[in-house]
Amino acid sequence: MEIGYYPGCSLHASSKLYDVQTKDVLSRIGIELSEIEDWNCCGATSVGKQDDFLAIALPARNLGIADATGLSEILIPCSSCYSRTLVSQKTLEGNPELKAEINAELAKKVEGKIKISNILEVLQSKTAEIKEKAVKKLTGLKPVCYYGCLLSRFPSDMPVSDSVENPVAMEGLLKSIGAAPLDWGYKTDCCGASASVNDADTALRLMSKIFKDAIARDANCFVTTCPMCQLNLDAYQDEVSKKYGITKKLPVYFITELIGVSMGISFDQLQIDRHFTDAMGLLKELKLL
Amino acid sequence: MSTSTLKYSAETSNALLKEVMDRSGQNLMSCYQCRRCASGCPVGEETGVTPDRLVRMILLGEKEDALNNLLVWKCVACYTCGTRCPNNIHTSRINETLKQMSKEAHAKPLLLKVAAFHSAFMKSISHFGRSNELEFMGLYQMENVKKGGLSALIADIKSLSKLGIAMLRKKRMHFKLDKTKGRSEITALYNRSAKRQGPKE
Ligand code: SF4
Ligand code: SF4
Repeated sequence: MEIGYYPGCSLHASSKLYDVQTKDVLSRIGIELSEIEDWNCCGATSVGKQDDFLAIALPARNLGIADATGLSEILIPCSSCYSRTLVSQKTLEGNPELKAEINAELAKKVEGKIKISNILEVLQSKTAEIKEKAVKKLTGLKPVCYYGCLLSRFPSDMPVSDSVENPVAMEGLLKSIGAAPLDWGYKTDCCGASASVNDADTALRLMSKIFKDAIARDANCFVTTCPMCQLNLDAYQDEVSKKYGITKKLPVYFITELIGVSMGISFDQLQIDRHFTDAMGLLKELKLL
Repeated sequence: MSTSTLKYSAETSNALLKEVMDRSGQNLMSCYQCRRCASGCPVGEETGVTPDRLVRMILLGEKEDALNNLLVWKCVACYTCGTRCPNNIHTSRINETLKQMSKEAHAKPLLLKVAAFHSAFMKSISHFGRSNELEFMGLYQMENVKKGGLSALIADIKSLSKLGIAMLRKKRMHFKLDKTKGRSEITALYNRSAKRQGPKE
């Protein structure tokens, strides 16, 4: 099955590992990703604070390109890109004048027909295949699933498949490959997003709560789907721990990374050695690598 | 909050309310001050002003306070307030509108780095159609100097270079410049947006 793919800027840069893992894992369960041509940045977490028109128009250009492929579905793994693009599509559906105004500037016009999926929706549709390909059961792995903000909450009403306050898709997938995800209180709380760069005190404080709860529940790792959340929890963990007197360190995995491990894909192929907070030790200890 | 509530004027308050409602798309008049938004706001305890207070401020026409409070500038756009609001009021959208209004009024942003970050990000997309971390960080630092002077720059470079070095070590730094070929379309969209806003800026 071929579906469209919008990696976004993060997956082409600091989160290249997520791009590599996503393509590899999905190809093994029968999904070929076709990256849409010449895409542009969706505007991420900045555009809404600067320009309401561009907040709809930038993702719209990508939607026009995606519609022109004739494919019926597009995967957007980054939560921020997913959110911005979905909001753009739904806004234009209800606002034909704005759609015409934006389309006037585009070679490939937005039609609004392509189905936008996040990574959990795509993986969930293949749960049986994931289970079947799991040559290693992730026994001993006790993750807390971290959904963050933008996968479940939107700035306007959006039709989403999982619960807003208590999403469970990630837990379901991890259980199917032998991990034992834990219940916890911060699965949809905010990591601070770009505040880690522009308002560090706020971001570090928010992350400290997330770390403390995960540790109190006796988790041995985080699992996430958002490159921004992953980078924050991973790269700033050291600093947060020092500032808030936290001694235990927890690796922060992408969901694709763990599914990849269960499929027996090697660590260097999955690029698990590119984490800021050591992510290899735990997997070795559990004899999964 | 100042004491300007004592000087309530229907004219000025209506103008502010109307502008914020139109631009943010949020119906502030339906707020019944139940504070469900406040209880879930992750920055509320440090900003003092919670989403319900901000809505109230705007209803009372306190423009200066509405543009200059920590909630507007520390909001992490987590969308919790709007998701839980019984009247579907998204304060994150109100905060975005107020940040834009502050910029248009050439007011000094309460948190310089937040303003510098987002304006640099939009500039970087206008150049290449995609965001490139190194180019973006350069632009961000330039905005920082413009807005906050050299001392702001030095403090920031220290913390950023720590991250930069870690990213290099972990092979997560990216040096190739990622570009969108159809940049003329991006430019056209930026131009159209400027035209829509009129000659205000
Ligand atoms: S939750 Fe909604 S109605 Fe209640 S105080 Fe907040 S903005 Fe007003
Ligand atoms: S979106 Fe902003 S105002 Fe609303 S709860 Fe989150 S941080 Fe608070």
